[in-house]
Amino acid sequence: MIEDKKESESYVGKSIRAKEARAPLIGKAKYTNDYTFSGQLYAHILRSPHAAAKINSVDVSGAKKVSGVHLAICGQDVFNHTNGITDHLNPAIFGGKSTRLPCMAVDEAWCYGQPVAIVVAEDERTARYAASRIQVDYTPLEPIIDVEKAVAKGARSVVPGWEDNTLIYVPFMNGDTQAAFDAASHVITTDVKIHRFSSQPMETRCYNAIWEHDTESITLYGTCQNPHPLRLVIAETLRMNENKIRIIASTIGGAFGLKMHGHPEEPLICLMAKLLGRPVKWVESREECLLIGAREQQHKVEMAFDSDGVMVGLRDNVLANIGAPSACPGWGMVFLTGLTMPGPYKVENIDVHMNAVTTNKPSWNAARGYGKESTAIALELAMDNAARQLGISPIDLRLKNFIAKDSFPYNSPTGLVYDSGDYSGVLLKALETIDYQGWKDKQAAALIEGRYLGIGVAFELTPEGGTIPGTMVAGYDSSTVRVGPDGTVRVLTGITSPGTHNATAMAQIAADELGVDIAKIEVLQGDTNASPYGFGNYSGRSTIVGGGSVALAAQDVRAKINAVAAALLEVEPDTLNLVSGVFSSSAKSDATLTFAEVCYASYTRAYDVAMCIDPPLEATRTFKPPGIRHTPDENGRINPYPSYSNAVYVVVCEVDTDTGKIDLLSLAAAHDCGKVINPILVEGQVCGAFAMGLGGALSEDIQYDANGVQLTKSFKDYVMLRMADIPPIGVAHHDCPNPDNYLGLKGAGEAGVGGSAAALVNAVNDALEPLGVLMHEMPLTPSRVWSAIQNANNGEGVN
Amino acid sequence: MSLHPMYARPRDLEQASQLLASLSSGAVIIAGGQEIMPFINYGVMMPDVYVDIGGIKALKGVNVNDDEVSIGALTVHRDIQSTEDIVERLPLLAYAAQQIGGGWQVHNRGTIGGNIVSMHPLYDIAPALLALDADVELLSDKGLQRMSLLQLQNDSSHGLGSSSILTKILVKTMLPNVLWGYYKLKNSAGAYGSANAAAVIQMDGEKIKSIRIVIGAVSETSVVISKALDGYLGGAYTLEIGRAIEKVCIDAIDEPLSDQQGDGVWRKAMAGIAARRATEMALSNLTTSSIKR
Repeated sequence: MIEDKKESESYVGKSIRAKEARAPLIGKAKYTNDYTFSGQLYAHILRSPHAAAKINSVDVSGAKKVSGVHLAICGQDVFNHTNGITDHLNPAIFGGKSTRLPCMAVDEAWCYGQPVAIVVAEDERTARYAASRIQVDYTPLEPIIDVEKAVAKGARSVVPGWEDNTLIYVPFMNGDTQAAFDAASHVITTDVKIHRFSSQPMETRCYNAIWEHDTESITLYGTCQNPHPLRLVIAETLRMNENKIRIIASTIGGAFGLKMHGHPEEPLICLMAKLLGRPVKWVESREECLLIGAREQQHKVEMAFDSDGVMVGLRDNVLANIGAPSACPGWGMVFLTGLTMPGPYKVENIDVHMNAVTTNKPSWNAARGYGKESTAIALELAMDNAARQLGISPIDLRLKNFIAKDSFPYNSPTGLVYDSGDYSGVLLKALETIDYQGWKDKQAAALIEGRYLGIGVAFELTPEGGTIPGTMVAGYDSSTVRVGPDGTVRVLTGITSPGTHNATAMAQIAADELGVDIAKIEVLQGDTNASPYGFGNYSGRSTIVGGGSVALAAQDVRAKINAVAAALLEVEPDTLNLVSGVFSSSAKSDATLTFAEVCYASYTRAYDVAMCIDPPLEATRTFKPPGIRHTPDENGRINPYPSYSNAVYVVVCEVDTDTGKIDLLSLAAAHDCGKVINPILVEGQVCGAFAMGLGGALSEDIQYDANGVQLTKSFKDYVMLRMADIPPIGVAHHDCPNPDNYLGLKGAGEAGVGGSAAALVNAVNDALEPLGVLMHEMPLTPSRVWSAIQNANNGEGVN
Repeated sequence: MSLHPMYARPRDLEQASQLLASLSSGAVIIAGGQEIMPFINYGVMMPDVYVDIGGIKALKGVNVNDDEVSIGALTVHRDIQSTEDIVERLPLLAYAAQQIGGGWQVHNRGTIGGNIVSMHPLYDIAPALLALDADVELLSDKGLQRMSLLQLQNDSSHGLGSSSILTKILVKTMLPNVLWGYYKLKNSAGAYGSANAAAVIQMDGEKIKSIRIVIGAVSETSVVISKALDGYLGGAYTLEIGRAIEKVCIDAIDEPLSDQQGDGVWRKAMAGIAARRATEMALSNLTTSSIKR
């Protein structure tokens, strides 16, 4: 039996401070924009001021006359050099529509902000100035901005040649929903409107492409979540070989899905470097970053209940305004919203229709939650509405309808297989964390004084670690663990960090598996020439598959080290102990060797004492979570997720009924992400998700005018919450380890936006119930809340 | 619009004035840079000439002459918030300056002059100064000119920012028996105000002797409400009077803003709420202690 350090000396499960967090904190981190190379040039992109327009001509001659300009070209020129951008997720694979996705508009601009021309110059100012000298002759077309208009009969097709504007329609049907509704005692309908909001990383996107003359290849320093898959996209779009592309994703200042690839600027900037033979950099402005949409969905949720308040059927019809076509994977969020129905609730009969509708708004990209947050918002608003109509407490209605703890693995009506969970336990823990009863008492007391307090809860089921067959969205990942001759450790992994510090989690796992001090471990991510092939970060996968593969590789290397240590000590490997970096043996009391001595011998004594191993001390392993099933079942359904994180969010707020302003009083979450590797990292994710969800529910809103022109251009208009808005957050862990994954991991990075947003809406509706106010349209800006109160006062009630 | 702008840093007001007179359009005056730099950085503005007035001593400092406080245009928000003469003599202004958003960076760089010159409808300084019936002093090639801030606000030919310089703000010391309140409604901590109100009230014992309310952030320019409130003078404050003041202030807003802070109907209503709350703050006698030192 190999005895490592005592349990108390292990790293997994402890709040280890992230080593890589220091540099960003003191302003010294090297982000993509911090790399500048000899001969550096800068690009500026001229964008369409129209949501829909024919492009009659683009005259770049004015830009070319500006001193310092190296290149000024239009969409047609770029078109001639490139293929369409390779889809991150091709909708055609799933029965949807597909079209060629050019890097820049050629004959027609299909949304405000679409690239129309590009200038490369000595510096950013010159490029921008020169771009203002480009003359574009447009014939504006009637834009299609509203989703209702887009799906109306006879509507103009946003994409010429398409017979309608529905990119993809996906039904999720199971059981006999009609019969269930016919037999139901109550049917509660809730119209939920989720507005366009996304994530705004502090670091906007940046690409710096270098043409490597030595190898006739491209090195791209880029803000990207998936460096290896992006290589293929750039290679295919630029008609190059994949092995001619190297991607380096440096420190990332937040990603949240927005830096998943498919953006036109990725191949475009690479093309500029290739054409000019010089490094070309482009930095996204905040205004450009705000072009990227997500989440804009309208739901019509119908829940059927029997006389005991048990849900017997669920219907939903969803129209999602996904904007113009894009190679980014944003549209897939709509698919996932449907796939995750009916969330944590045990109901067999479902009839859910998802419509991803193309319009002349700018495109979506992935955003934290990837559609699952919208499922949570729709379901949880509907559950509270149902509870109110049925006269049951929202807590009791949920407890009555949750999938029971002993029902796992649970086959969902959409074909998912939920691995584990204790949904009631998570809810009760969240209520305990916030002191639910205490707040109920305060609420009652406040009402007597004419103050309106509300308490809202919401559940979010967040399947994590997803993979889609036939796409570069993989379920597995790989890592290399290399122990050097001095006993220090290099971990190279295919997963990347969007700023979540998962490198520290990798180091904790490697340190425990190898039995070494965490200070001896260095983790490298994001360089495709260094890391094994991997898929980066998305879907809360990084610690599940990165951690699993690091553990397997470390175990292999540790076996080699043990073999050499045993040979050196002339004992059997199973008599070894490794404590504080020193090997000893229970079979030989006086002999010891340091870990470093054993590693040195492993490298230098390959023909005698280390004959027993294949040097070097290195292994590359892949972790393929076993819960995923891509072989369709009898209904043609697959289970693309290996794990099902879940959480309950509770919000206490007070509504100023004079102004409609909402003040947050207390927040809590109870979270099941399986085994917690590092509590402060997980709690950081929970708190961050809370801020995002609450911001979305209260104020973050990307608005366009009736002509599809962007109104929200800066943080003056896209107002995110600040520390002063957010009270302390109570976080409780309620772990149900995943039975299939390494250490029982489930993923923690993606959850929380929908649950916290829904809890807020529920809290506001709870606060204003005495006034007869009921709102299911986000965001709950003061003006919207105030209007609802006015309407209720005027006897109009429900809004 | 120039790719290669020129930069001038005049040493004194005379130089600055001569320089501005000699320049055609395309010159901008820059001091703290809080208004202009974001536009420059985003390429919205590309001026030909920057005239940096930051080094002109005559534009700095707070002085008191008899009962009038003179505030140099370059005085930064942080100093407005904490300078003893302002806190003691113009507590309403000090308090309003504390409500300015953007954090310490903005407070340490942004100037009272820049705040006024920008004529931004959502800012805090103008409502406070208008409530105190402040004057401003302008310098142009025609020489020095003194006018009320209210007059400046309604005058579009002042040339501030390009051909004339705001030199100082002149405000009468608030009398000891004057009560004041300032209420700023913000959607969240990081948002601009969606309705601001400054109230200045004189009492005669329990009775209201005079009342002046200025509403900001609800229309393009701040709205001064004084005469319309005459009907509520002479009596003690009651909730009914508060509601009546609210109504008067709502009615005083003809063309409410409708932007991402909120729509016009709500903004108009909030003008009333902010006014009532500023009035209540003034009457609560809590105002002096609410200034953070």
